[in-house]
Amino acid sequence: MLVVYQDVINIVQAKFSSTEVVKCIHLNVSSVNESLDEVHKILALVECKSSYALFVFITKKPRPSSISDLTIETAIPINSCFSCDTEPIENCQSHIIFIVNFKSNKLQFKIEIGVESSNFASEVVWSKEVSNNPNFNWLDKYKCDNLDPSNQKTSEMTDQSSDIPVLRHQLAQGQAASNRESILRYQLKLKEPEYTQQQEFSIFVGTWNVNGQPPSVSLRPWLSFDEEPPDLYAIGLQEIDLSKEAFLFNDTPREAEWVKYVMDGVHSKAKYKSVAVTRLVGMQLIVLVNSKHYQFVKNVAVDTVGTGLLGKMGNKGGVAVRLELHNTSLCFVNCHLAAHIEEFERRNQDYKDINARINFRKQPQSIKDHEQVYWLGDLNYRITDLNTQQVKTLLARNEIVTLLKADQLNQQKDRGHVLLDYTEGDITFHPTYKYDLNTDTFDTSEKARPPAWTDRILWRGEGIYQTAYRSHMDVRISDHKPVSALFKSEISVIDQNKFRRVHEDLLKKMDKLENEFLPQVMVDQTEVVFDLVKFREPQAREIIIANTGQVPAEFEFIKKLDEATYCKDWLRITPFCGTIDPGDKCDIKFEVNLEREMDKVYDILVLHLKGGKDMFIIVTGECQRSCFTSSISTLCRAPVPLLQMSEEQRKQAENMESRVLYSIPRELWHLVDNLYRYGLKTRDLFESCALHEEIIRIRDWLDYGSVDSLPGTVQAVAEALLLFLSYTKDPIVPFELHDSCIAAANNFQNCRLIIQQKMSDVHRNVFLYICMFLKELLKYSNENGYDAKTLASLFGDILLRDPIRNSKPQANRGKANFVYNFLVNDLSSSIIPNK
Amino acid sequence: MARDYDHLFKLLIIGDSGVGKSSLLLRFADNTFSGSYITTIGVDFKIKTVSLDGQKVKLQIWDTAGQERFRTITSTYYRGTHGVIVVYDVTNGESFANVKRWLHEIEQNCDVVNRVLVGNKNDTPDRKVVLTEDAQRFADTMNIQLFETSAKDNVNVEEMFMAITRLVLRSKQEMKERQNITQNETVNLRKSNKQGKKKCC
Repeated sequence: MLVVYQDVINIVQAKFSSTEVVKCIHLNVSSVNESLDEVHKILALVECKSSYALFVFITKKPRPSSISDLTIETAIPINSCFSCDTEPIENCQSHIIFIVNFKSNKLQFKIEIGVESSNFASEVVWSKEVSNNPNFNWLDKYKCDNLDPSNQKTSEMTDQSSDIPVLRHQLAQGQAASNRESILRYQLKLKEPEYTQQQEFSIFVGTWNVNGQPPSVSLRPWLSFDEEPPDLYAIGLQEIDLSKEAFLFNDTPREAEWVKYVMDGVHSKAKYKSVAVTRLVGMQLIVLVNSKHYQFVKNVAVDTVGTGLLGKMGNKGGVAVRLELHNTSLCFVNCHLAAHIEEFERRNQDYKDINARINFRKQPQSIKDHEQVYWLGDLNYRITDLNTQQVKTLLARNEIVTLLKADQLNQQKDRGHVLLDYTEGDITFHPTYKYDLNTDTFDTSEKARPPAWTDRILWRGEGIYQTAYRSHMDVRISDHKPVSALFKSEISVIDQNKFRRVHEDLLKKMDKLENEFLPQVMVDQTEVVFDLVKFREPQAREIIIANTGQVPAEFEFIKKLDEATYCKDWLRITPFCGTIDPGDKCDIKFEVNLEREMDKVYDILVLHLKGGKDMFIIVTGECQRSCFTSSISTLCRAPVPLLQMSEEQRKQAENMESRVLYSIPRELWHLVDNLYRYGLKTRDLFESCALHEEIIRIRDWLDYGSVDSLPGTVQAVAEALLLFLSYTKDPIVPFELHDSCIAAANNFQNCRLIIQQKMSDVHRNVFLYICMFLKELLKYSNENGYDAKTLASLFGDILLRDPIRNSKPQANRGKANFVYNFLVNDLSSSIIPNK
Repeated sequence: MARDYDHLFKLLIIGDSGVGKSSLLLRFADNTFSGSYITTIGVDFKIKTVSLDGQKVKLQIWDTAGQERFRTITSTYYRGTHGVIVVYDVTNGESFANVKRWLHEIEQNCDVVNRVLVGNKNDTPDRKVVLTEDAQRFADTMNIQLFETSAKDNVNVEEMFMAITRLVLRSKQEMKERQNITQNETVNLRKSNKQGKKKCC
C-alpha cells in the first residue's frame, strides 16, 4: 500500500517543478457535486516556498501509472480565504465528505475514512497554519479553473475594448497612479498631527489560565474590578478546554461558554461590543470595545500560531488580534508558552515563533509593525534556583523584589532573549500559580510546585501608561489566579473635518501635479497647406513641435479608427514618432508626392502624446491634373491638351460624351512619335535616368500643349513614356485580365483572343500601338541593344502593372511571356478595324 | 487603501466650437479663466479628484475639438466614456440648435452613458439669446439635466461637474446592485439544484 502511494506521489510530483513539492496526496476521491463516481480524482497538497495550494487532479485510472493520466482540474491557494471541514454521510460508515471552502466557492469530496484521510486532512490544516508566504504567483501557470475570482476581475476601466482613447487613458493614469497612492499615504502620515489629536483610552488587559475548568463563577471581580468602565477589553484565556477533542479538532463548546461569561462579567456601566474572538485549542482571546467606540474600530484581523507538540500543535502557542482604533494600530497577543521550569529556552523559542509566524495577511502583517502591542498570557516562566519552601518564606516576608530577581522572565528579558523592548509594570501581587483549586493556598499536592508569576502582561509602543497591574485572588476555580492591567493609552483620533480638508488639499495638489506632469507640446501650425500639388513634383513643409511641458514628450502620429496607416500614401512624415525633452523642439517634415489623379489632397493627422493629449494637424493642397494620371479613355476624348480644357470639355471627356475620339491618347502619340524619330537607335534607351526637370518639362509640355517641339533628351522622353504607361488611372491591360493573360501566355492565339475580345477599343489600341513600337525598336537591335525578351519583361510589368505599386517590382515571367507573344508574332490579324 | 481613489470615471465635453468647453474644464480643474480664445484642435484631458458621498472619485475629463471638420475623428474618443457634457453657448442660438446633433452623436457612439446639458457664457444677460425656459423645456423632453454656467464668473461650474459625476456614480452602483441580484439568483438556483440531488440520493 505504502509503495503504491509513494509511486503515485512521484507521478504527481512530475507535474510540478522542483521548487513545488508535493507534500501529500489523497487517492480515490470523487466529487460530490458530480453525479457519477466514474471520474476519479486525486487531491494533492503542494508547497512552493512556504505557500501551499490544494490541487485537484482528474485521473484516468484510480491509480495513475503515468503523468499523462493526470489533468489538473483546480488549484486552490491555501490562504486566509481557504478553509476545510468534514461532514458525515448519512447511513454511511465508510466514507466522509471533505469540504473545501475558498472565498464563496465550496467543493465537496467523498473520501474513505482511514489513515490516509486523517493524515491528508491534518496536513492541509497544518499547511494553512504554517504558510507564511502570501505570494501565489506560482499557481498562475496552472491556468486551470482557478477559483480565485480576483484572477478574473480586472479593473473596471480596462474591460472595454482596446481602442485608442482607452489605451491612452490607461497610459495617462498608469504613469502617475502608482506613485500617487504611495505619495498620498506618505503625505497623509506626515500631516497626521494636523488632523489628529491624542486622546486617552482606557484599555483593560486580562489574562487567566483556567485549567480546563468550565466557567462557573462570575468574572466581575476580575473584569469589573475598577470603578470606571474601560474603553477596550482584551481578555486572554488559556486552557479553556484540555480535552482530546479540543486538541485534535480544535473544536470546543467552551468557546461560546467563556464568551458568555466574559460578556456577563464586563463592566455594567457601559455597553460592549465584540470586536474579535479568536481561539486555538485552549487559548482564547476576546477583544471588546465600548460600543460608543465601535464605529472607530477598523481593519480587524486575527491569526493563531501553534508551537506545541511537534512545534505546530495548538496546545501551546499564541492567538492574536489586530485592529485600528481611530488612527492607531493595536495588536493584542495572548500566548501560552511551553511549561516546566527547565524549559525557559523553549519558551523563548515559542515567543520568537509566534512573532515570526503571526501574519494578519494585510498591512501591517506582523506583530512588530503595530504602534501599540499588548502581550499577555501564561508565559509559564518560573522562579528559578529556589525551592518551594524558600519561595513561600520570602513571600511571607513580602520580599517580592528579591523573588522577582529569580524570575526567569525578568532574567531572560534582561539578557535580551525574550520580549526585548517590551515593558512590564511593577509586580506587587503574589505569584498567580499554583493554587489548590477553590482556595488561595499554594499547591499542597505531592509535587508541591514552587509558586511562580506565570501570568503576565507587557506592552510596547508610545503613549502607553499602565495605571494598575494586579492579580484577582477571589476568583478561585482554577489553579491560576487571573491577572489584569489597566492602561491609559494615547490613541490618535482623527478630526474628520480636519482630515477631509488635509486630504482634499493633498488630492488637489496631486491633481495639479499630475496635470502639470502630463506631456505638453505646442505646434507652430496645425494646418499645413501645400502649393499646387503636381504629378511627381514633391513638395515639403515643416512644422515645429515644441515641448512646453515638464516631462519628456513621446509623440507619434497615430492612425485614425478604421484606417490602416497614420497618413495617406501621398504623404510622408519624417520623423513620424520621437521623444522631445522639455524645452526642446523637433522639426517634422511633411512631404507630398502625387502619383494619382486627385482634385485635392486633404487629411487630418492625429499627433498623439504618449500619456497625454492628441492634436489634429490638417494637411491640404489643391492638385493639378496631369495626363500622366488620367484615364486612357478620357485622354482619347480630350479635344485639346488637358490643362487647356474647359470644365465642360473635361466632364464630357470623362463621361465619354465628347465629340472627339482618338484611337490613342495624343500625349502617347507625341512620346512614341518622338522616340520613333530620334530614339530607335539609342542604346539602353529605357535604362538611362533623366533629369527630374526634364520630366517636369515634358509633363508640362504634354499637359499645357505647345507649339515648340517636345523638350528633353530621347532618354527623358523614354522615361516619360514608361511613367505615362505606369501611372495611367487604369492599367493598359485591366487588372481583372492579368490572370487569364498569364495563363494564355504560351499560346499566341489565346493571347490574341483576350486582346480582341476582352479589352476596350482604346486600351487594345494602346496595347497594340506600344507593341508595334517595340517591334520597330527590335528592328534596330544591333544599335539599341534590346532583344524581345528584355523588352517583354520591361513592358510586361508596366502594361500589366500590379494593383498595388511596389517599390521593388519583380519581373513576372508570365506577364513578360504574354507581351513577348506580341513582339515576335504578326500583329496585323490582332487589329480590329474601326467600326 | 489600495488606490488613492474609489472610482475612476472618464468624462467627455462636447459641443460646437467656441461655446467654452475648454474654459469649463480649465475652471473646474485649475480654477482659472483666460479671456483669450484658443480653439482646441485635438483632444486634451485633465484629471481632478472629487469627494462624493464620502467616496473619492477620480475624473479624467476629455475636452474635444468642436469644429465640424473634426467630428468623425472626435467621435472615436467617445468609447469608454462614463459621462458626457454637452455644451452650448447661451449667446449663440445656433450652438443650441446643434445640441440635438450632439446628442445624436452620443447615441451613435456610446452604449450607456450619462449626460448633462450645459448652457455656458451665462454671464451677460443682454447678450443671452437662448432663454432658460426654452432650454429647460428641451432638456425636459430629452430627459437630461440642464445647467446654465459661466466659466468666466465661475458660476455653476462645480455644481455641473459634480452632478454628472453623481449620475455616473449612481448608475455604476445601480449596475452593481443589479449584478448582485442576478448573482444571487444563480446561487439560489444552484442551491435548489443541490437539494434536488440530495433528495434523489
